[in-house]
Amino acid sequence: MVALAVDDVRPNETVYHVKRGTEGTALAIRDFCLWYGAAKALHEVSLTVERGLVTALIGPSGCGKSTLLRSLNRMNDLIDGLRTSGTVEFDGRDIYDPRVDVIALRKRMGMVFQKPNPFPMSIFENVVYPLRVDGVRDRRILEETVERGLKSAALWDEVKDRLHESALGMSGGQQQRLCIARAIAGDPEVLLMDEPCSALDPIATAKIEELIDDLSGRYTIIIVTHNMQQAARVSDNTAFMYLGRLIEYGETEAIFTNPKLDQTRDYVTGRFG
Amino acid sequence: MTSTSIDTARARPAAGTLARVRTTRLQAIGEPNLWALGGALAFGCVMVVGFLLLVLWNGVTTFWPRPVVVVTTTDGARLAGEPFRSEVYRPGPEVLATLDEATRRRIAAAGGLAGRDLYRTGNFDVYSEDFRWVSDYAVASTAMPSGLMFVERLEWGPFIGTIRGVTVDGRAMPELKDDPRALAAAHDVARARWRQIRHIERDLIGDVNHELEAERLNVRRVALRYGDGTPEHVAALARFAERETALQADYARLAADAQGLKETDGHTQITLAEIGGAEKTINLSAVVRMYPANDLGVAQKLGVYLSRWGEFVSDEPREANTEGGVLPAIFGTFVMTLLLVVVVAPFGVVTALYLREYARQGRLVSIVRISVNNLAGVPSIVYGVFGLGFFAYVLGGGIDSLFFPERLPNPTFGTGGILWAALTLALLTVPVVIVATEEALAAVPRSMREGSLACGASKWQTIRRIVLPRAMPGIMTGVILAMARGAGEVAPLMLVGVVKLAPDLPLDGYFPYFHLERSFMHLGFHIFDVGFQSRNSEAGKPMVFVTTLLLIGLVFAMNISAVVIRNRLKRKFAGSQF
Ligand SMILES: Nc1ncnc2c1ncn2[C@@H]1O[C@H](COP(=O)(O)OP(=O)(O)OP(=O)(O)O)[C@@H](O)[C@H]1O
Ligand SMILES: [Mg+2]
Repeated sequence: MVALAVDDVRPNETVYHVKRGTEGTALAIRDFCLWYGAAKALHEVSLTVERGLVTALIGPSGCGKSTLLRSLNRMNDLIDGLRTSGTVEFDGRDIYDPRVDVIALRKRMGMVFQKPNPFPMSIFENVVYPLRVDGVRDRRILEETVERGLKSAALWDEVKDRLHESALGMSGGQQQRLCIARAIAGDPEVLLMDEPCSALDPIATAKIEELIDDLSGRYTIIIVTHNMQQAARVSDNTAFMYLGRLIEYGETEAIFTNPKLDQTRDYVTGRFG
Repeated sequence: MTSTSIDTARARPAAGTLARVRTTRLQAIGEPNLWALGGALAFGCVMVVGFLLLVLWNGVTTFWPRPVVVVTTTDGARLAGEPFRSEVYRPGPEVLATLDEATRRRIAAAGGLAGRDLYRTGNFDVYSEDFRWVSDYAVASTAMPSGLMFVERLEWGPFIGTIRGVTVDGRAMPELKDDPRALAAAHDVARARWRQIRHIERDLIGDVNHELEAERLNVRRVALRYGDGTPEHVAALARFAERETALQADYARLAADAQGLKETDGHTQITLAEIGGAEKTINLSAVVRMYPANDLGVAQKLGVYLSRWGEFVSDEPREANTEGGVLPAIFGTFVMTLLLVVVVAPFGVVTALYLREYARQGRLVSIVRISVNNLAGVPSIVYGVFGLGFFAYVLGGGIDSLFFPERLPNPTFGTGGILWAALTLALLTVPVVIVATEEALAAVPRSMREGSLACGASKWQTIRRIVLPRAMPGIMTGVILAMARGAGEVAPLMLVGVVKLAPDLPLDGYFPYFHLERSFMHLGFHIFDVGFQSRNSEAGKPMVFVTTLLLIGLVFAMNISAVVIRNRLKRKFAGSQF
């Protein structure tokens, strides 16, 4: 557990007033810095993510939201010349410890990307992909998973008759919900979502927001979004980032109605300069 | 407010400070370049299409039966033959000296030029030539009389002339001469007998020889293993002697059978007379096909045509490859190309996978990549030399001394063969597959890999389940290109296993059925051999076109099937994104 009290001002001057969950902390990020080659993209970010709550990451484009999110399941490992410092503790273990099994870590964290990225396979195979990867063969388990996943992603009724058709024939919104179904099929503990609604129309967006609401409590969700209303609607805590720094991290309601910093207020009210 | 500001902006150049009229130069439009590009494309297309049409036309028409023309020359000699081609030539002074005044004047009026026709007269055994030129001025008359037969024979090429008589089973049957149907029946019987003789001589006696050889090798093996004169060796020798006696008896029986059949066969003969009256009697079974050249209707012509094609694609060559079929060459080309694909596809894909997905992208990888690309530029004959030296002599020699010591000094794998040829061509074409695969891998969207990794898949699982299937159409393109290149390559093959005439196909009924060490025939080499290496290059010329057509057709068919498979795969990945 990290002892970060409300209004605790750290050396990097982040302002904290976080809403605590009932189940403790899922992720504790401490003094996390990240360099793409020589360029420092994250500056001493420290925050805790509460288990079972929805945490939103907001901030102007290029401020490092995706970078931070992708650091949590070590997706950034793929990038050449990447360097990090600081720690990210998940269940009390630093995931940047060289002994950590990255694959096992990713199995505990589902991820939904900004653009839907279904695999060129059937809808069914898309959903059970995490199970296939684990070598699950049992037809019954697979079918159960598909039904549960698609129902959770509010997609079941639309596709239950065409489970064995290619996933590439679906609409963008359906594809994104399919990706969500896929992300939760592996039964992860944390769900990382990077602007999941940016390519969707308002109706699909509403469905996904509903879905996030449903899933909160069961999963720890971290969502990156550019949509202030969305952040306000779905999240419990909101982190505001700017130029690679975490500026303010607190209860969503407070961030949007009564932020501690003028910078945050300017951003959430759209007067950002 | 806004309108006024625009007005003032407009007014400024008029005031003279920025008085420049913007123009677009012709060069910038790029229209002339467009013409050049289009012209280059058209030129390329015309060349390719022209070439294909030439091959197609010559290849398709070669087997169509032509009429036989009887030419009476001014000196009273007569000649019968198929008109083959015509040309204009310049008769030499010594030729002109032999001509009469009127003809000479006519030639002089035509600028010293005269026309002449080439006739395929056949009857090589009588005339000692197959073709004869006849100058236009020497022709008194031409005719296409009925009753002239075009007879294709097993030996000596075609015979053109009339049927004088037929003997069936020792009895003269002159009535068959005018009864094509009965003659055809007698011919079929004779041909069936001939095939029977061939079956005995080739297959049955071949079996006996094969078994005898196997027994002999077995004795050698025992001798090598236990040493000469050891009890095992003595026992093996005894067994061999016993088997040999039995096999010799089999052989003698079969040979007697064949001899008997041959004697019977010798009693069924046909007597042919060429246009000058010289007669020739041959066994009816030695006639492959005969038809009255000037009396055929279109349907019958078509029959002859199809039967010639049938023979061409399903029979073995004869007469130094200028006649008969090319089945062994088709088969050799096909099997070698398949082997090539089987080797080159996995090898190229694995290499590209390592280069693209696993190797650290640094200077070393760049050097390897450039080297691989440059490999494609090495002259193919160099690969042939390498294939012979490394695959056949080093690898094959090693295999021989390890696994087939009893056959030495006769090489088994230690000489050119279909496996080494396929490996050599695989080496030659692997850069194509590597480059195409690398590109296909690089084109797999990053989002898809990330999606898979985020699901907890390992790198290998991601490659296996997402990247490779997705890259498959691109990989297939590379394999298709490699296949097309490999199927048409001849130069290196001449060093590593292609022969003019292969006694056995690489696939037969003897264990292990698939004989990778055997030398083989290849359509490409066949073209070279028939067209430029045979006694009778004039007769070989049409065969060159037919074989070329066949080779193009084969490569085309293989490519089309690969393209169909690829497009199936592609369709799987093509979906609407939104
Ligand atoms: N692969 C990379 N290599 C180098 N620099 C990168 C890379 N990815 C991101 N960056 C840089 O890191 C900084 C943060 O990028 P990031 O993608 O995290 O921003 P973001 O907050 O997600 O922006 P957006 O809202 O536009 O998605 C940016 O300045 C970006 O240029
Ligand atoms: Mg982003």
